[in-house]
This record gives sequence, structure tokens and C-alpha cells, in this order.
Amino acid sequence: MMNHLMLLAVLLLLRTCYTTYSQQESTVFPVTYLNITKDLALQRLLVEWDVGKPAHDAGLAMSFEIQVRRTDENTTVWTGFHNVTLGKSAKPLHWIWDSDLPLECMSHLVRIRSKAEVSKIWSQWSLWEAVLGMDTSNNSEPQIFPNEKIVEEGSDITLCCIGRKGRIIKEFFLVPAVHVFSHTNSQVGLLTVKNVSHQGVPHISVYCQESCNEEQCYAHSVFFVGKQPDTPNDFSCQTQDMRIVTCTWSKGGETYLYGHRLPKYTLFEEFSQKMVPCTVSCSEQCSCSWNIGQQRIYNITVTVENPLGKKTAMDVFDVTHRIYPAAPFQLWEECTDTEITLYWKHRNKGIELFCQTEVLQPNGKVELHNSSDTHLHYASITLGGLQPYTEYTVRVRCGAAKHFWRWSEWSEALTIRTKEATPSGKLDIWREITPVLGGRNVTLFWKQAPSFRANGKSVSYEVTWEKVEGGSKRESISFSPVHNSTRISIDNDSYRISIMAKNNVNYSLPSVMIIPRATGTEELKEEQVNGTDDGIFISWEPRHTYDSYIIEWCKVPMLQPCDLQWKRFGPNISSALINSAAFVPGVRYNFHVYGSVANRASLLEKKTGYLRELPPLLDPIVEKVELTLNAVTLSWDSYPTDESQPGFVRGYHVYVSPIQEDCLLKGSKKHVLPDDSVLCKYTIEDPEEKRYTVKHLLSNTKYKLAVKAYTGGGETPIVNFIYIDTPFNSNLMYLLVLLVIVPAVIAAICHWKMKWVKERCCPVIPSPSKSKVLSFKAFKSGSEKVLKLSDCIPDMLAVDTKAEAQKLHPWSQLPSTPTENKTDDGHNSSQICPDEKEERDFTPTPTAQTHTCFENFSYSSHLAVTFDSYQRPEMLEASTPEVSVVLYQPHYYFDIFNEDAASAPRETAGRKASLRYISQTDVHA
Amino acid sequence: MAEDAQELFAFYEKDQHLAINNLCRTNHLPEWLRGPVTGPGALRGTMTRMAQALQDIARHQRDLNPPGAEILRRLASTHLKVRGLLNNLEGLFPAPSLPPGRRHPPGPTAPTKVFQQKLEGCRILWSYARFMAKLSAQLEGRSRGGRREKRRSHRGSWLLARS
Repeated sequence: MMNHLMLLAVLLLLRTCYTTYSQQESTVFPVTYLNITKDLALQRLLVEWDVGKPAHDAGLAMSFEIQVRRTDENTTVWTGFHNVTLGKSAKPLHWIWDSDLPLECMSHLVRIRSKAEVSKIWSQWSLWEAVLGMDTSNNSEPQIFPNEKIVEEGSDITLCCIGRKGRIIKEFFLVPAVHVFSHTNSQVGLLTVKNVSHQGVPHISVYCQESCNEEQCYAHSVFFVGKQPDTPNDFSCQTQDMRIVTCTWSKGGETYLYGHRLPKYTLFEEFSQKMVPCTVSCSEQCSCSWNIGQQRIYNITVTVENPLGKKTAMDVFDVTHRIYPAAPFQLWEECTDTEITLYWKHRNKGIELFCQTEVLQPNGKVELHNSSDTHLHYASITLGGLQPYTEYTVRVRCGAAKHFWRWSEWSEALTIRTKEATPSGKLDIWREITPVLGGRNVTLFWKQAPSFRANGKSVSYEVTWEKVEGGSKRESISFSPVHNSTRISIDNDSYRISIMAKNNVNYSLPSVMIIPRATGTEELKEEQVNGTDDGIFISWEPRHTYDSYIIEWCKVPMLQPCDLQWKRFGPNISSALINSAAFVPGVRYNFHVYGSVANRASLLEKKTGYLRELPPLLDPIVEKVELTLNAVTLSWDSYPTDESQPGFVRGYHVYVSPIQEDCLLKGSKKHVLPDDSVLCKYTIEDPEEKRYTVKHLLSNTKYKLAVKAYTGGGETPIVNFIYIDTPFNSNLMYLLVLLVIVPAVIAAICHWKMKWVKERCCPVIPSPSKSKVLSFKAFKSGSEKVLKLSDCIPDMLAVDTKAEAQKLHPWSQLPSTPTENKTDDGHNSSQICPDEKEERDFTPTPTAQTHTCFENFSYSSHLAVTFDSYQRPEMLEASTPEVSVVLYQPHYYFDIFNEDAASAPRETAGRKASLRYISQTDVHA
Repeated sequence: MAEDAQELFAFYEKDQHLAINNLCRTNHLPEWLRGPVTGPGALRGTMTRMAQALQDIARHQRDLNPPGAEILRRLASTHLKVRGLLNNLEGLFPAPSLPPGRRHPPGPTAPTKVFQQKLEGCRILWSYARFMAKLSAQLEGRSRGGRREKRRSHRGSWLLARS
């Protein structure tokens, strides 16, 4: 039983599952019909399909999955879902797919499957339905798609070149070249340009070539890159005469499309639902005009369209609120000296206008005057408060008085001059008084003050003068407009002078000046003032008694007359910056400050100054140079310090060249020139001190000096120097004479008496080698001949026993007896002297080899003078200093002499041991 | 004019990006530009056709270029020169003129595609440049020959006079 029940349960479950499955199976509605067509103009696929009638009957909500594939690609290029609720009408379903690739390039395939919302099971896919591309057709030549497409700048474009059957596309490119993604190794070449740009060329050419060279192997095309037109800006419509309406708008930016691809404009009126019958013309602005007829309210839409898109703008308006009047014309005027009445005409008959008149004044200021038009044929406005005899430029524009829309254009401008009137204000007058014999010359000046107005074409002047007291005859002179000064002669009494301007209408008010009685002039001290970049600043002490101040100066001080200038100031002013284009640096200007009360002016202060001081043009000329041993005094008395200088001379600099590089002269400062040479600088701060003594100089020394004046503008570079030689110091001369000249004279005398001295001191000894004494047979020992006594047959032998001789010739006592030789001339020039080598050893050597030495001093004059061979060594030593001082003999001689002298006492023994005969010539050698 | 024709062609070829594979420099010249020029009448006919062709090329180019483009200026200039030559020919060698507004019989169908129009224009300008070059050489040769003949005849008469 239990088993039976289990079986029953299983069967029940199976039944339930089957029922469920059967129900689901019955809710699947596969696609029963699928048709695809292509819209080549729009490059889109139009897909049409249907499912079974039961689905329509059931009004099911269904989903469709649609897939698109291309022949050259294995994968699906696009998959999409389409949800729809089916209707009872059983109409087929439609769907559109836009292709990014031209549909001609290759075949496209579409399949669809469906699913009812109530079911979770998709139907089977339909079969692929295809639309064929041009690659499947038999072309006679390669073809490029798309052809002549207009692409919006910034978008992408894909092109293909379809070769003939069996041909491969070899080349597929654009000119001008742009970056492309291309694929050309098959019958179909593909080429994609991303973010295409205009590149400044009207169009881009496309070239395609199959792998052959005949004419039919090529295909060409172009495509255009452009922009959508801009929305018409500032679109508005208006009328001038209530008959013709004109709409205007701005043209918009460049679209890069030309000819028949240019933007096209159309105007449409919404209320009447009619195209506006007008022709659009565009230059800087686009406009379109048409006759309005009876219609008063409009809703106009302007549409601009080109192949890439279209834009619209709209204007709704009542024509009576859009009146833009024509510009007023035919202006004319009536005027007095202060008023102008202006008239004009307008074309907008029957329209009440509101007008505006612009008045351009001579100073460039513009005034606007509003007026309403009340006249039928013309309008007018009266402009008051004008200046006499002044030019004004006027023009007029108008707008609708009711529902003002905008101003008309300005009328043509009209220039009007008001009529003349009496001169207004007073002349500004001044004078210059020059005392002369018996009176004064008064030069009168006048100019038009800022407040003065001539009010006429030409202004003449009338000068009148009379004595203040005593009722003299009144005198007057008239002057033409070109004059601004005159000179009159008056006596020393007080005079009243008045000057008036006169035009064609009348005289101005007189400007009056009182010339006071002549009195002695008080000398005022002149004060120096400083110039600035903006002028020369003058200040004065304010006095409460004056009602005005006047500053006068000469424009060109060097000229005569100097072109007197003056400037008038109020009573509360006590300083002024005087500026003039005529002011130049380096010129001294003198200013006089006057105070004026009741037309009487009196001099208060004198000022003098430069706009800018310059260094002096000329250096002081040193006229006098006084030299002492250690000082030099320079003077330049004639150097001017007056107004001829281009600045106030503040002092002088005296420059002295030092011997050493550093300036060590007392009281001076070191001054380095641009070439790095150094001068000593002394400063004199008083311009009237024109003399200076430079002290502490060295005598008998050359110096260079320069004197420079300096002003507030500095000084000029040093160019010229004065050269001086300080005198020789005679005390030094005397010392020199004592130390040099006297000994020199003594030496000269000695030299002159040398012969006598020589004869006295050093008799001449003849050369033994030339003596017959040595002409004997002998043997030689070294270089010396030896006389054998055995060979010598003396004629006579004598023994000298003279004590004197023994005293004078101590060496004669030596065992070896020296031979005294006498020359033919009787001079005893021989001496017995020790060998030089032996002289150094003073120790007596009794056993020493005996030599006979003859030394001839006649060939050694200096020694002859300084050395007395007969002197004893002690005597020689004593005589040495005197010789060295007097004769300035070279030192080495002195040393030799000294050495000899020093060694002399010790030499005696040596000489005894080795007496040798040495020629004088050998001594020199 | 030959130089102007050559310059116009060179500029057009470059400006229109047609200087590739000698596309324009075809040997298949339009029949009316092949020559030879047998007389003033033939030249007048050629120039009339050329004036029309230049107008067509300018019209096509106006669709491709902004107003005032250099190519339009050059085409207009050459067109004026061709018209001027035509006027001179008319003046020197009057011929029965065509009724006003009547054009020469149309040639082969005019291309409608932009590229083909450009190419056609370029080929006409190339042919025109060659035509004008030949014409110029021909006229120069004749001029030289004429002068030589004149000199020879002058010398002959002088020799005859001497003999």
C-alpha cells in the first residue's frame, strides 16, 4: 500500500512538470517573418518582422533580440533589444539600424529571436537575413563609398573602396593626407578618419587603386568637411514707414560649404502660415524686406539650413511698436549771440516723433537736448545759453514718441556760429618802468585773461593814460589785434593807465593800473631759488595789504627786450611753480614778486634761479702762479661768477698731481680720475675766493695742477693742466760743492801734476826682458833664465856701504844681494819687491830660495799715484783713507791697495826668501 | 597667353590635389583642342569652346571654394584673356556669328560627380596649355620665316638690281 502511494506521488509530480512545460512551450512565439531593406541616403537598415498571430491576439508584451553581422567579420557587430506590446491589428514590427559603414561596402545580415514577457524562454534565432553590398556585384571599375558625403567637423567617417571581383585594393588614401585607419589587403578597402577637421581646404579627395595600372583600375571621390549653420543672432524686424517691414540678423560663422551648399535662409510667418515673400541678402548682416499690407502682428521664424543641419530664430511683434524712423534731413538754423533755433524735416509723416539734438561745443563737450515734434512739415528746437561768436556742431535723431523702439540714424551734422557780442571780462595788463632823464618810459603789456572772451571776430585794443592828480589831458592810442604791448613816456608824476579790448560790437570793461610817482628805489637782496623738473618754485612772504600778487620774469633773459612775462595770483597765495616751455637748463632766470593794491603794484622780493644748473662751461684761467720751494700760489681773479654761468658757482677745486700714487699732500683729498690716475683735490667753498696756495710740495719737482669751478650742476671733466717745476734748494748745492766739487778739483790738480808726482815717487823702471843684462847664455828654469856666476865675468866688483842705501833698501841686507838697475833716462824705476804669493806669508824665511824681482810701476799710473813703493808699510797704511776719498777710485783697486798695505809688514821676510823679477805687464795681467 | 595657360594649369593641378599619377596630363585631348590651327576661323572656334569650358570650370569651382578664392580669380583672368582674343579675332576676321545664346553643340556628357568635374577641368586646362604652347611656337616660327623671307626677297631684288 505504501509503495502504491509512493508511485502515485511520483506520477503526480511528473504530471505537474509536464503541464508546466507544456504551458511554457505554448508561450514561445518565434519570428515568422523577417525582411530587411536598406536606405542608402540615410545609410540605415530597415528591419521588418513578425511573430505568430496568436501572440498578436494575446496582446503579449514581448522582447526581441536583434543581431547585425557583416560578411567580412565573424562576430556580431551589433546586438540590441526591442521591447513591444503586440497589438490586435497584427501589423509587422519595424526597427531601424544606422550603420557607421556605408551599406554599399559589404553585405549586412540580421537575425532576431523573441521572448514573451510572461515566459522566460527565448525562441530560436531566425535565419540570417541579408542585404547585399556592392562587393557582390560585377563592377566594371572600383567604386568608392560614400561619394561626395558632407561630414560635420569633429565627426568620424568610414570610406570603402570596392574593387572588381578577384582584384585586391592596392592603394586607398586621402589628399591632403590625414591620419586614417585603413585596411586594404582584400577586394574591399576600408579607411576610417576620426575627428575629421576642415584643414583649410574646400574638400578632401579620395584615391583608390587596384593592383593594376590601367585606367579602369582607379577610382576617385571627394568628401566635404563643414559645419552646421549658426543660429541667426540678433533677429529682429522693424519698419520705417509702416509699409515695409525689414528683418535683420547676423550672418553667423563660416560653414566651409560653398556654392549650392551654402546656408539657405527662409522666413515663415506663423499666424498666416505662409512663407514670407522676401529675398534674403547677406553681406555683413542678413536682411529681408517685404510689404506688410494690413497685417499688424507677426510671428516670423527665420530658418537657416545647410546639408549638415538647420537652426531657427523667431520674432513676434506688433508693427506699430517697431518703428525705426528715417534720419531727419534738411537742417537749417536761426541764431543770436547766445541762442540757436534749429529746424529739420523728416519722412515719417503721420508718426509722432521724439527727437534728440546733440550739441558739440568747441571744448569737445557734448550736450543732448530732447524735443517733441509738433509741426506737420518740420520740427525745431531752441538751444540757449550759448557763447557769442562760437562754433557749435549740431545733429538730430528721432524715435517714435509712442512705443519707442529705437533711435533713427543721426542726421547730417550742421556747424553754426553764434553772433558777436561785447567782449566779456577784462584784459590782464602789466608794465615795465624804465627811468629816463626827466621822467620814465613805461612799457605796457596786455593779454587775454582766462576769464576774458573776445566775443567777436577780431579784437583791437585801446590804451588810455592820464595823470592821477591835476587833471591832465587824457591821451589814448588804439592798437590792432596783433599788438600786445606798447611803450609810453611819462613824467615823474603818478599816472592812471587803462587798457580796453574792442570788437565790432563794443568795448570791454577797462583794466586799470596806477603808475606811482617816481621815488628812489630800494635795493632788495636777491634770493636764490631752485628749479625742479616741473618748473621753478617761487615763494614769497604773504602780506595782508595786497589784493593780488604778480610775478614777472623774462622769457629769454639774454635778449633785449627780454620778452617780459607775468602771472597774477590771488591775495591768499604765497607760492607758485613757474613753468614755461621756454625755460631751458643752464639759464639764470630772475623773478620779481610784486604786490598790488588798488591797481598800484610795488616790488616785494627778488628771486633768481635756474630750471636746472649745469657745470661751468669754462674753467678758471690761472693768471698768476707764484712758486716757492715748497708751495705754489694760483690766482684766477677774472673768473666770472655772475649770470653768465650756467649755474650758481659754489666754489673751486684745485687739483694737484702727486708724486706717489696716493695723495699725501696735507689738506687735500684723494681724487681718482676715470683713467684711474690719482690727483690731490683741494676745495674752496667761497666762489669769491679766487686765490689758493698749495703747500707741502717738494722742491725741484714737476707738478701738474688744474683749477675747476663747480656749480650746483657739478663740474666738467679735467682736460687741461698747468705744469710747474718747484725751484732747486741751493743749500743742497753748497753741500754738493763741498762734498764733490772740491775733492774733484784736488784730484784733477793731482792728475795734472801726475808726472811730477811720478817722477818723485815712482821713477820708471825699464823692462828687464829688453835689457842686455839678460842676453847671456843660461839655462832655463821654467820660464826664467838663470845666470850662472861662472859664466859671468864681472868687470868690476864694488861693495856699497852707504848707510842711506841700507836704510832705504832693507831687503838689500838679505843674503841674496838685489841688483839695482838704472834706466838710460836716469829714472830709477826699479824696486825690490816680494812675490805676490810670498807677500801673503810675512814670516821671514832665511833659507828661502833667492830671487831678484824687478817691478816696473811706470805702466800703472793709478798705482803710481796712490802707491809709493818706497814708503814703508806703516806709511802706506796711513795714507790709504785720503786717497780713497779724493779720487773715488774703484773699490777693488782700493782693496788691492789695502791688502797690500795690510800685508806689507809681514811681507818683508818672504821677500827676502824669494826675490823675483816680475814685469810690470804681468802685474796688470 | 601660352604662359598664362601653363600657369593656370599648374596652379589648378596643385590646388585641386590632382598632381597624382599624372591624372590630368592625358593624351586624349578634347577634339576641339587637338589642332592644328588651320586658320583664324579654326582658332576662333577653339577659343569660343575654351571660353565656355572656362565658364563651366569656374561654375564648378564656385561650389567648392569661398568667394574670392585664388583659383576663381585666375580662372576669371584667363577667361577674360580668351574673350579678349576672341574679340580681336572677330575684329580682324569677321565671320557669320551664331545667334545670341546659342552654344556650340555639346560634347560628351558632362560629368556630374565632383571629382570627375575637377578632373575634366584639369584635363581641359592641360590640353589648353599644350594647345597654346603649340600655337605660340607656330606663330613664332611663321614670324621668323616671314622675316627671313622678307630679307631674302629684299636681298634678291637688290642682287637683281645690281646685275
